[in-house]
Amino acid sequence: MSSYAHPEALVTTDWLAGHLNDSDIRIVESNEDVLLYSTGHIPGAVHIDWRSDLQDQTVRDYISPAAFAELAAKNGIGRDTTVVFYGDKSNWWACYALWAFRLFGHPNVKILDGGRDKWIAEGRPTTREVPGPAPAEYPVPPKRYDDEIRAFFDDALAQSRGRKPLIDVRSPGEFVGDVTHMPEYPQEGVLRGGHVPGAKSVPWKRAVKDDATFKSADDLRAIYEGEAGLKPGDDVIAYCRIGERSSHTWFVLTYLLGYEKVRNYDGSWTEWGNKVLAPIAKGA
Amino acid sequence: MYPPKLQQIVELFEVLPDIEKRETLITYADQAKSKEPREGETFDLEDVRKDEECTDTVGIFLKVNPDRTTRYRVALGPQVQTLTKAMTAILCKGLEGITIEQVLDVPADFVPKIVGADLVRQRSQTVYYILTRMKSAATVWRNRDRAANLA
Repeated sequence: MSSYAHPEALVTTDWLAGHLNDSDIRIVESNEDVLLYSTGHIPGAVHIDWRSDLQDQTVRDYISPAAFAELAAKNGIGRDTTVVFYGDKSNWWACYALWAFRLFGHPNVKILDGGRDKWIAEGRPTTREVPGPAPAEYPVPPKRYDDEIRAFFDDALAQSRGRKPLIDVRSPGEFVGDVTHMPEYPQEGVLRGGHVPGAKSVPWKRAVKDDATFKSADDLRAIYEGEAGLKPGDDVIAYCRIGERSSHTWFVLTYLLGYEKVRNYDGSWTEWGNKVLAPIAKGA
Repeated sequence: MYPPKLQQIVELFEVLPDIEKRETLITYADQAKSKEPREGETFDLEDVRKDEECTDTVGIFLKVNPDRTTRYRVALGPQVQTLTKAMTAILCKGLEGITIEQVLDVPADFVPKIVGADLVRQRSQTVYYILTRMKSAATVWRNRDRAANLA
């Protein structure tokens, strides 16, 4: 049985329970349910909202390096702080927040395996007390690592035309073009259904078990390499609808399987499916 | 104008700053469990289903009195979002005692006043879902009532 490429990127609920008060660790909750943090969270955890905190409020983009430094500092996160992310939906948004932190080069990031659901299911403590961490010093990152871990439309188009690996992590219905949003979610303004030509369908959820923890390295390899045909060393782009589910797959490929060149196309289908003249494939 | 109890809730939210709006929504979400059907209660219409617009099953239970006033109970699955829980408690309280016809006339424009424009944008269909389901139940009951009266 093989192990994860970067096992240090995951922590267990047991481990976190024993490190709640470590001064060099900051726990960050990031959810889809915008009010969930306020209903109770892991003691000491701060809340970072994927939309209001990490995204620019005017342009469809992420915040600037200066704004990131300010966000980190006010949450008591210094450059050397180890940030442990967790959240609902099997850590979708936690992975998205982690990916955004990596956009700014924050070095020490981890995911709580199983996320919020596992913590709650195990009856571990939660609180409604919002911590007020002492502001930290956070130097403004010299750059954003868009070139390394983020893909734009032109990158995805080049990937498609070059027949390089594209992983579509949406639900099967979205991939074949029967629907333009995942089950249970509002239609977020996509005009066309289908997928990027050449993309392979690997729904994000295949990477997790029923308890929201990640599958074993062997199981993940069987899915992404055995079925989808990826190979270590591949240059991979993952996409979904707005880049949140694909950041989960980005985490799996980067940290659990050790792929070194994986980019998350955050424009995803809400850009591609609306773009004039963007090529679209339908069907399985 | 909204039904009196809903109007009171709207007026409360309208003067709250955003942070207190959210805290009040959490308080309402905490009350959602108390809006479930209770032991021994009977209903004239029960509509339990899982729709694409919501992350879990929602059951709407409607009791209509002889004077056509209504009482709603709502059962929510565990995966339902916090905002949906809050809207459930708000609507069960806000629509309490009004008639079927008044339920159907409730305009949906109170939602942004309670929830705030930001949350409406983020979860645009979710925040209207419970009201839609309550109105749907009212419509079904009214149609059955009309059919019975014609028979």
